[in-house]
Amino acid sequence: MAKTIMIIDDSASLRQVVSITLTGAGYEVLEACDGRDALAKLTGQKVHLMISDVNMPNMDGISFLKAVREVPAYRFTPVIMLTTEAGEEMKKAGQAAGAKAWVVKPFKPEILLTAVSKLILP
Amino acid sequence: MFQISRVKDKDREIFRLSGDLTIYAAAEARKEFENLLSPGESLVLDLSEIDEIDTSGVQLLLWLKREVSAGGGQAALVRHSLAVVETFDLLHVTAIFGDPILISPE
Amino acid sequence: MDLDRAKLTFIIEAHELLDAMETSLLAPDSSESVNAMFRAVHTIKGSAGLFGLDSIVRFAHTVESVMDRVRAGSLPFTPSLVDLILACHDHMARQIEELQEGEENGSPGTLAASEALLARLLPYMEETPNPHQANKSLVSPSWQHSPEEEESGQPTWHISVRFGEEILRQGMDPLSFLRYLMTLGTITHLTPILDRLPAGAAFDPEHCYLGLEIDLDAQVERQVLEDVFEFVREDSQIRIIPPHSKVEEYLKLIRELPEGDLYLGEILVQGKCLTPKDLEEALSTQRQEAMEGGTVQGRLLGTIVVQDQALPPAVVAAALDKQKRAKEKPSHELKVVKVQAEKLDRLVDLVGELVIAGASANTLAAKSMDSRVLEATAVITKLVEEIRDNALSLRMVQIGETFSRFRRIVRDVSQELGKSIELEIQGAETELDKSIVEKLSDPLMHLVRNSIDHGIEPLEIRRARGKPDTGSLSLNAFHESGSIVIEVADDGGGLNRQRILAKAVERGLIQDPAALTDQEINLLIFEPGFSTAESVSKLSGRGVGMDVVKRNIDELRGTIEVESYEGAGTTFRFRLPLTLAIIDGFQVLVEDTSYVIPLDIVLECLDLGPILESEQNHLINLRGEALPFLRLREVFETPGPFPARERVVVVQIGDTRAGIVVDRLMGEFQTVIKPLGELFRSVKGLGGSTILGSGEVALILDVNQLIQLATARRPNARPRLSTTA
Repeated sequence: MAKTIMIIDDSASLRQVVSITLTGAGYEVLEACDGRDALAKLTGQKVHLMISDVNMPNMDGISFLKAVREVPAYRFTPVIMLTTEAGEEMKKAGQAAGAKAWVVKPFKPEILLTAVSKLILP
Repeated sequence: MFQISRVKDKDREIFRLSGDLTIYAAAEARKEFENLLSPGESLVLDLSEIDEIDTSGVQLLLWLKREVSAGGGQAALVRHSLAVVETFDLLHVTAIFGDPILISPE
Repeated sequence: MDLDRAKLTFIIEAHELLDAMETSLLAPDSSESVNAMFRAVHTIKGSAGLFGLDSIVRFAHTVESVMDRVRAGSLPFTPSLVDLILACHDHMARQIEELQEGEENGSPGTLAASEALLARLLPYMEETPNPHQANKSLVSPSWQHSPEEEESGQPTWHISVRFGEEILRQGMDPLSFLRYLMTLGTITHLTPILDRLPAGAAFDPEHCYLGLEIDLDAQVERQVLEDVFEFVREDSQIRIIPPHSKVEEYLKLIRELPEGDLYLGEILVQGKCLTPKDLEEALSTQRQEAMEGGTVQGRLLGTIVVQDQALPPAVVAAALDKQKRAKEKPSHELKVVKVQAEKLDRLVDLVGELVIAGASANTLAAKSMDSRVLEATAVITKLVEEIRDNALSLRMVQIGETFSRFRRIVRDVSQELGKSIELEIQGAETELDKSIVEKLSDPLMHLVRNSIDHGIEPLEIRRARGKPDTGSLSLNAFHESGSIVIEVADDGGGLNRQRILAKAVERGLIQDPAALTDQEINLLIFEPGFSTAESVSKLSGRGVGMDVVKRNIDELRGTIEVESYEGAGTTFRFRLPLTLAIIDGFQVLVEDTSYVIPLDIVLECLDLGPILESEQNHLINLRGEALPFLRLREVFETPGPFPARERVVVVQIGDTRAGIVVDRLMGEFQTVIKPLGELFRSVKGLGGSTILGSGEVALILDVNQLIQLATARRPNARPRLSTTA
């Protein structure tokens, strides 16, 4: 059974490339455009990993992380946060919220795939 | 979903664990395991219906086994499911548990 | 292509973002609009990076940095800056348009415009932007291999990890890092450390208590391995030792980690990072330091500890060491003292008695519970062990002399038969116990004659088969995992299995020829009264000889293997113990009877928990390998009920493994082998007897025979589960 990954980012093109990359590697991919959208789409189905942007409209990545940790089915789901070098402050806030896995934007698809593989293989 | 049920093997009572013994079920499983503990009693745990097990599940089984020994009994793990065998092999913990994993001869 | 469609999405998205940015730029006062501008540039940069549009990434990065300062309030959004950002916006729009037209890298005109705008943005930057910094993460060093590392053979990395307690809660499972490591290379050795797992109420089921000691065979750079653990690096202790590191590196690791020195040391020995000698030296230095410092840490060396864990092979190192010394020998020739053999024999006998007496003292000391007595006996035990090894080494002789005698025999016999045969000798410096060498010349003689007579073909047949006129016969000796291996090999016709089978059926030695493996067929020639040669020659083929070889080797507690290829030759291989008189044994118990298993063949011990009714005939899955097992209780027909919990001792001889099921494990000890009385000699599975410290007699198992029994019971034993560990 393929492992499911949710990508949460406000850029449709980023989601699309991430989706193509991960699907090509054998994962199933769910997409959400921001934290609020993600919470609405997470209805208890098995999700093995989430990749979330930090800077998003409606609900940013840090608030999303805090919220999703309150949902029993996703309490322990690993989350990779996407950030930029400019976001050191954000990173500190995220680490306080329990985000340990970070990938710096911009990245090439294979860099993200490597990060994902460390946490789950397809 | 992680569950424990009582089943009979000939005239012996064994406990069958089923579902996912993972971090999500860890807190709940620990409570259930505590209920199985009684000083001097031995346990036989059937693992044939465990679908998924992770590091926390391995730790839980080891904890249970040590608790039962501390109480003077012995906990035996039998009928390891494929998922359990795979994880035990990956972590090389078979020798730590000491329970043999049997496979059918054909 | 999917990716082209994604690029189209990017172009549309970028246009939308730039439109939103323009709207905000025209009303730049609210913080929300500054935020929106920042996000637009940020998103364009992020997506452009995915497509490798480096010129867009580089430009957007600088704009983003400036906007970040505005957003943070550290830079006033002056009208002139608004104008500049507006110009940047227009420029980005042009970049996107060019992309739309298929100009991925930007036209020369746009590139020049980029440089001009970047220069204007420069004053607003906190520090000089490093244009490479934005691209840094695009090219990860982990994908580059340095050529010199790829050339250096088969390096093994040692990775030592103690995971942080919180990692499971953060969704990180050590299992996934292991799986990922397996995509980078082969895990050659792995030991889980679970000492930190607390008992009782202190156990938090969501905490991670695991540590791992990993040996990884992988051709990667250090950074790649460090990156594997980057998500848990903060909370975990991770140490990585590169291949071919000095012993000191490993010893440092032992000292730095919280677990016992001896415990970790043995893990490293098992993983072949350290030799037992390195470890012993390191530990004794530390002990000495501790003694001098006045703090003896209460660890009694040589104390017999009953451990259910695998036991480290100690004999191997001694053997290797000896081989090394043998090579250095020529320079020491003048310092040799000749001693009568009888004197040496007497010395070894006395050491044997000393070992028994020492074991007896140990037993008493253990009962006394007096720590000073225990410590004293532990020191004595250690010394006795050294004396034993030294005494036995005195009796070691090189096999070369025995081998050389065959030069004459080969010449004489081949002339007699009119064959031209050359003898090649290898491993002449290999040492083994004098008493073994003496009993070895007869079986060797039989095999050499047999090879000359039946193995190597007459000249005309050799020519017809395209082989050189001169036949080749070789004698070879070497040490291998606690044993000595001696080979007699020829390049003759090989064994004719069809003829062997026919003869065996005719003689009533076997019933079902189809059930035999090639190896079993080969071994039939060692059965009493077996001779396949069609014409009985002067030298061999009298039907006596080969069964004598088998009996001689059995008496030496050795095994015989035969490797034969029809038309290409035969290799006979003896595997013999290093010495006959004294062995390190592992004592087990069935009811009240003690048995001893030679320690060098014990791999590990397991519990054999209750076997369900439906699983009585199953095999043990030992990490993916099917392990046949037998109960000593059944083999020796011991009366009494099965205990609730039995134990399995996993043993290995050559490539064959089996489990021996016993009631209890008593631990390891040195033992002196005494021959069996007449009464027991016919019992299969027993190799000798010994006297325990308590004065009781223990029976030494002939594990080779037992393995044959165990595997014979289940002829179709094949592993079903295979894991790629």
